[in-house]
Amino acid sequence: MDLTPNDEQLALQTATADWCRDNMPLEAARSRRAGLWQDLEAMGWSAMTAPGMDLDHATEALVFAELGRFLAPMGLISTAAANRWFAGSFEGKAGLALPVTGSDAMRILDPVEAGTAVMWSAQSVALYAAPDDQPHRPTIDLSTLQGRQPSTSPVAVSNAPTSPLHLQLLSAAYAVGCADAARDMAADYARLREQFDRPIGWFQALKHICSDMAVRAAVARSQLYYAACALDAKDGEAAFHVAAAKRLADQAAIDNGRANIQVHGGIGMTDEAAPHLCLKRAHLLQFIAPADAALLLEDAA
Amino acid sequence: MDIGFSPEETRFREECRAWLHANVPAEKRPLNADEALDFDKAWQRRLFDAGWAGINWPEDYGGRGLSIVEQVIWLEEYAKAHAPWIGSNFVGVNHGGPTLIINASEEQKAYHLPRILKGEAIWCQGFSEPGAGSDLAGIKTRGRIEGDELVVNGSKIWTSFAHVADWQELVLRTEDGSQRHKGLSWAICDMHAPGITIRPIQKMSGQVEFAEVFYDDVRIPLANVVGGLGNGWNVAMSTLSFERGTGFIADQVKQSQEIAELIATARGSGMIGDDRIADSLAQMRAEVAALRAMTYRNISEVVRTGQPGPEASVIRLFTSELGQRLERMAVLLMGDAAIDFAYGDDNAVGDYLRGFAATIAGGTAQIQRDIIGERLLGLPKSR
Repeated sequence: MDLTPNDEQLALQTATADWCRDNMPLEAARSRRAGLWQDLEAMGWSAMTAPGMDLDHATEALVFAELGRFLAPMGLISTAAANRWFAGSFEGKAGLALPVTGSDAMRILDPVEAGTAVMWSAQSVALYAAPDDQPHRPTIDLSTLQGRQPSTSPVAVSNAPTSPLHLQLLSAAYAVGCADAARDMAADYARLREQFDRPIGWFQALKHICSDMAVRAAVARSQLYYAACALDAKDGEAAFHVAAAKRLADQAAIDNGRANIQVHGGIGMTDEAAPHLCLKRAHLLQFIAPADAALLLEDAA
Repeated sequence: MDIGFSPEETRFREECRAWLHANVPAEKRPLNADEALDFDKAWQRRLFDAGWAGINWPEDYGGRGLSIVEQVIWLEEYAKAHAPWIGSNFVGVNHGGPTLIINASEEQKAYHLPRILKGEAIWCQGFSEPGAGSDLAGIKTRGRIEGDELVVNGSKIWTSFAHVADWQELVLRTEDGSQRHKGLSWAICDMHAPGITIRPIQKMSGQVEFAEVFYDDVRIPLANVVGGLGNGWNVAMSTLSFERGTGFIADQVKQSQEIAELIATARGSGMIGDDRIADSLAQMRAEVAALRAMTYRNISEVVRTGQPGPEASVIRLFTSELGQRLERMAVLLMGDAAIDFAYGDDNAVGDYLRGFAATIAGGTAQIQRDIIGERLLGLPKSR
């Protein structure tokens, strides 16, 4: 039993964060530069657990949490799933498909330059043709565009029990990163911003908001590690642990996103400042592979 | 990273399980204080004789000298087997003993540690005072040095097990005019010494589990000072950091049993049909799982680096608040039977009322949040 990253994993984690800081800063998430996707593919992050890669879920989750911290493109989640589950019949970039409630259309998140899209359900992941020929519309998350297309039949379906868990784990990792980013942004600001002649982080009212952000992030990250290991170990309770990880990570991302804006005060409400980028990403993530509350109660019997 | 245990660790787990299965007493721990004391001492002795007391304590003092991982495995199996709460041995085994291991002289360790492990000596804590709660450095209880003795005057409060204890971890001011963290010493006080008066305090649950302790010219040999005169703050902090680190593993396993029982109860009564209740049960089940993950992460950190990471204070805060949410849910699920609560009842209402201690004792939730903000996030110190 060891729930701390080993030296190799730590090195990979640090290298990922360093690369992101230089090439994909969070502040630029509202309009990503041309060529970013090709760079991400070249780094290997869209195919870490593809056949023949020999990397485990724990390592992939660690790296995705770092990517999530910089609000990396949503298409990485779906493309990683497609490379793993549809190897041979898939190449390039896959958007993330979601049904549109009350209509028979589907949304394709992050459709730019994609030819296909992956849709998650609790039982499977399915690959759809999704040529990037529809007009792009905004989503709540400024870094993510969407296209719409009529529902069609999938071109391939993976019913492997691990396939929906894998995609759920990666989106939980993104949410953990998002919660970390909001925590760090708030703590940085609370150390710097002065009122009443002292940093606002001196005041317990503000300090304790930040401490609660740290608690939520630590709780979510711990469960993410356990869930990834459970998946690697083919543990019988893996589905429960991944669902728990997703639920806690989504909550941490949204609650930390909200708290970060409060800590920033007036500037936190502006479009110019970065806090809303984290909050909006969190609200998008909660629709990706959401945790089923019934499953969290089920295993208790 | 992996969540598996080695073949040796698995074998150890099976040994724990087998022994507990054969030896956990069928009767419940008595509520009456005197009967409880006899029960606790007998159970601790049985644990010691079978080699289960002090699994990660040094062999020289009666321990097994195994790693913290074996200790965790034992505590997990202990809770799963519904073995009795350690009760009056809590302070000795979980606070006093570990503090002595880190700070005490050979003589002090050789005398006290085996007695603690065998259940022969009951310990209590003497840190808080009426004027020194969260602000622990405000301690006023004085120890005047006279020859080779300290002469102690003052009072301590919230002392659990004071009425049954043989020894006390006593933090007192031994330098005249000293301020705050300086001039404090950590001494082993004989609770049977002349000049000690104990005033029991009843809790809102009805139990009399803690007390105020008064010292009127109580004489303590200087040889009972641990870690040197004037070094009491550092010695006390080593106990508290232990409390905030690995001291609560059994509680965490218990919480996973509690949530499973609550879900079963809610199913049985049909209350799970209330979406609000179902959702909070689901939430707590996820949180209990995360708590185990966080504990494993912390244990892994101890194995890797020799000490708990700064996130130990996060575990402490999260466990205490989660425990209170569980207790509150248990009362909710009782329905109107909660109305019938009377002082001393050993039921969910009693647990709920006693459970307020979790975010007060050993550093309030507010102090924990200060620590997290300052040590983990680097925010400026408010105090």
